[in-house]
Amino acid sequence: MKFLTLFSRLYDEEILAKLTFLQSIRLFEGINKRQLIHVLESLQERTYLKGETIFTQGDIGRALFIVFSGKIALARVDKITQKTETIAEVHPAEFFGEMALLEEMPRTATAYALEDTKVFMLFKIKLDALLFARPRIGVTIAAQLAKILSARLRAILEQPAEQS
Amino acid sequence: MPTETAKKNNYAQLILPACIGIALVYLVVMATSAIFPFILSAALAYILSPIIKYLEVRGIKRAYAVAGLYLGIGLLLFVVVYLLFHFLSFELESLQQSWPEYAGRMQQFVLNLNTKIVHNYPFLASLKVEQNLQRFLEAAPQFILGLIPALTLLFIVPFITFFMLVGGAGIIDYLIDHLPSRHAELILHIASRIDGSLGNYLRGIVTEAFVIFLIAFTGLIYMSLDYAAVIAILIGVSSLVPYLGAIIGAVLSSIVAYLQFGTFLPILKIMFFFAGIRFFDDWFLQPYIMKKAVKLNPAIILLALMAGGEIGGIWGVIFSIPVTCIIKEILQIAVELQETEFRWKPKPEPTRISIPYT
Repeated sequence: MKFLTLFSRLYDEEILAKLTFLQSIRLFEGINKRQLIHVLESLQERTYLKGETIFTQGDIGRALFIVFSGKIALARVDKITQKTETIAEVHPAEFFGEMALLEEMPRTATAYALEDTKVFMLFKIKLDALLFARPRIGVTIAAQLAKILSARLRAILEQPAEQS
Repeated sequence: MPTETAKKNNYAQLILPACIGIALVYLVVMATSAIFPFILSAALAYILSPIIKYLEVRGIKRAYAVAGLYLGIGLLLFVVVYLLFHFLSFELESLQQSWPEYAGRMQQFVLNLNTKIVHNYPFLASLKVEQNLQRFLEAAPQFILGLIPALTLLFIVPFITFFMLVGGAGIIDYLIDHLPSRHAELILHIASRIDGSLGNYLRGIVTEAFVIFLIAFTGLIYMSLDYAAVIAILIGVSSLVPYLGAIIGAVLSSIVAYLQFGTFLPILKIMFFFAGIRFFDDWFLQPYIMKKAVKLNPAIILLALMAGGEIGGIWGVIFSIPVTCIIKEILQIAVELQETEFRWKPKPEPTRISIPYT
């Protein structure tokens, strides 16, 4: 009993919660809890207050964002009408900005916090380091990334057909 | 849409950070000696922080992780010091006893050499080698005694580092959360780039110094050279400065070997041994340990060491290479930002493929 008390004093429950959370992220599917520790080591946490801009359309992207708690809105300015339109809302366990992990290109939308939001950032440089240091984890993430991008592309292509 | 405060072009918001910055610079300039242990502690905390993070992501609370690390290092140091103490105390004692004799022999050797040289080249008499040597030999023990106050740093620095490691993460998290949100991604990207290369350099050089110390200690003990422990420690410490470790080791060991054996064969052996260490370091150790660190040209390293020495003495030399790493990384990032953020070069073109999605 004493041992358990000592263990609970030493052990940080928050880490366990974060690891369980990361297991539910599609990008990390196929990576076991033990390996997820290395992913957690590569992530950067930050809290954005309600209304704060995370990035703006046209900024160079360098990180992927995973929403831990709160809500983020993605908005895009139409080039022709110059009107801003909210294209998506990102909820906990969802992620956005994954294109930044592949190439440092301008962002295609603006992201801002709809409420106080805690995010995990995965920088391209950290993913590159993970790919070389722990190829098994890196390859799993890269494969998931490819699947997700393919799914998004398919969704865009299938959209007009559904509408017509 | 969010309220875009940045668009107001309100420079008043920069006044407070600028004032704090100026106050900090003033404090550093006015109280350099008081702040110096804190700079050393911050560097040490930075070197140790990956170990703490390693334990933290495995679920151990930060305070316990730091305490555990200190206990571990303390235990290791105790064992190492206990093992070395025998050698060191014995060696220092014997050095104290034999110093006058050694000094006399060194003086005799140099005087004989000087007489021969002056006999052949009379114009060299103006160098006054005799008087200079006398002055050097008298000043040597005084110089060593002068280093003792620096030893107090050995007690102060780990103490400050402990509190920096325990409380530092909270301050860093606070600063990260209060960065201008719009630029947080860019700032954190730059910070992780610098952290990647500098951190690998610092951790690499500490590992390298330790390995060189171990090799030198084993080799010198094997050659039954006196004061092997003292020389190995000096080699280990001086290996923190590129190229210095092997040079100091070769020179010191050669002098000791000459005084101990009186022949040139052991000196030759020692020279080969240290040349071997140098090549082993260059060909095996550095490519393996430093593969992820900043690559610096040897000419740049030399320039940095000389400039560091001129600016800040011995500590300037020690800090010159990490600072050069930071400068190099910042310059590289600045050029990249010119290309991407400031549109100095044309926008990067996205990859285009003509075949449609099938």
